[in-house]
Amino acid sequence: MRLSSISAVMAGAARRPRALSSPEAAPDAWGELMAAAQDGHGGAYRRLLREISDWLRRYFLRRLPQGDVDDAVQETLLAVHRRRHTFDPRCPFGPWLAAIARRKWIDQLRVLGRRPTEALPDDLAVADHEAAVTSASVLASLLEELRPAQAQAIMLVKLQGYSIEEASRETGLSASAVKMHIHRGLARLTAFIEKTRDVE
Amino acid sequence: MSNDALILALSADLTPVRRRNSWGEAALLLALAAAELALVLGLGLMRPDMGRTIGSAYMLWKLGSLAVLAGISCAVAVRSFSPMASPRGGLALALAVAGLAIGMGLLVAPGDGGGVSLVDRLAPVRGLLCAASIIVLSLPIMAALAVLMRRGAPVHPEASALAAGLAAGTGGALVFAFCCPVNDPLYVVVWYFTGCAAVAAAARWLLPRGFRL
Repeated sequence: MRLSSISAVMAGAARRPRALSSPEAAPDAWGELMAAAQDGHGGAYRRLLREISDWLRRYFLRRLPQGDVDDAVQETLLAVHRRRHTFDPRCPFGPWLAAIARRKWIDQLRVLGRRPTEALPDDLAVADHEAAVTSASVLASLLEELRPAQAQAIMLVKLQGYSIEEASRETGLSASAVKMHIHRGLARLTAFIEKTRDVE
Repeated sequence: MSNDALILALSADLTPVRRRNSWGEAALLLALAAAELALVLGLGLMRPDMGRTIGSAYMLWKLGSLAVLAGISCAVAVRSFSPMASPRGGLALALAVAGLAIGMGLLVAPGDGGGVSLVDRLAPVRGLLCAASIIVLSLPIMAALAVLMRRGAPVHPEASALAAGLAAGTGGALVFAFCCPVNDPLYVVVWYFTGCAAVAAAARWLLPRGFRL
């Protein structure tokens, strides 16, 4: 790509609103920025990563507990960087990015299932109201696919920040049963997401 | 590290990358299989009566089915190394074609099946050697597919690994089919399936290990 066309793409990207609801809805200026990045244009790449990191943040906020969002965004940015040679400029950029983000969502849910569960500290900063309302809404809706006990354990411990002991008191189950429901529920959820083409 | 710091680090000193070319990858696999076949034939391992049997219904069924299966599974595997493609539909197609090929095998008259016991037809010792040969012959294609998978971006790594194993197994079986002297479809279905299934299972287990998108 010639320098003048890269400049034109970057100028267009600068005029474009940053908050796009989905990568599919993004005009394929993102694809052009990625094509320029493949040719070694660092400025185009920086602009692209900044724009997609905003989209990724919104994507993961609806799918993961808030504390895991930053990790997921950074993991996805690293994956985009490592696999940027697999993007075909003849194809739209949105589905390429969405597929990588979805894979990272599944990976992050697996990590969530393996991670030991601890009580949240009392002095933890409270997120703003909008984030609290929208956070992990897709994940919460997917809990309907699980057994009620699994869904309740995940909802309480992973999404609402209860400790295992608190969740145990709330549900009337033993602490080990709560842990088992979380582990099995998240494994079942990741299997469901992997099998389902579009999860919204 | 903040997102901004990460973005700055990733975009600093950015070097151009060579875009993935799936047609080039498919051509590489084809060339590898052709080289392997040429080597096997060059070593004089081709069945001695190939000139006479190559046009028979049995041989057309055996070579044709394996070539179609190897082609489909290679295409599915290579395509699935892009994030845009899922291998599931292709794997289902490959399984359907395998089922069809087995069904067609029933229509092909067994060369030496009449009046022979099932154990004799299956010839387990020779069959195991055939399956082991298929596994050995599939290794170069499997290694190439493993490298291509690591360089690609499969978002369904387990299914991609299975497709790669199926491609390597059927590729190895196709090469071996030129050497195998047995003319019994039952033997081919059982032992070739065993060899291909072993390769596919090993690939499904091994290839996704340590893979990180």
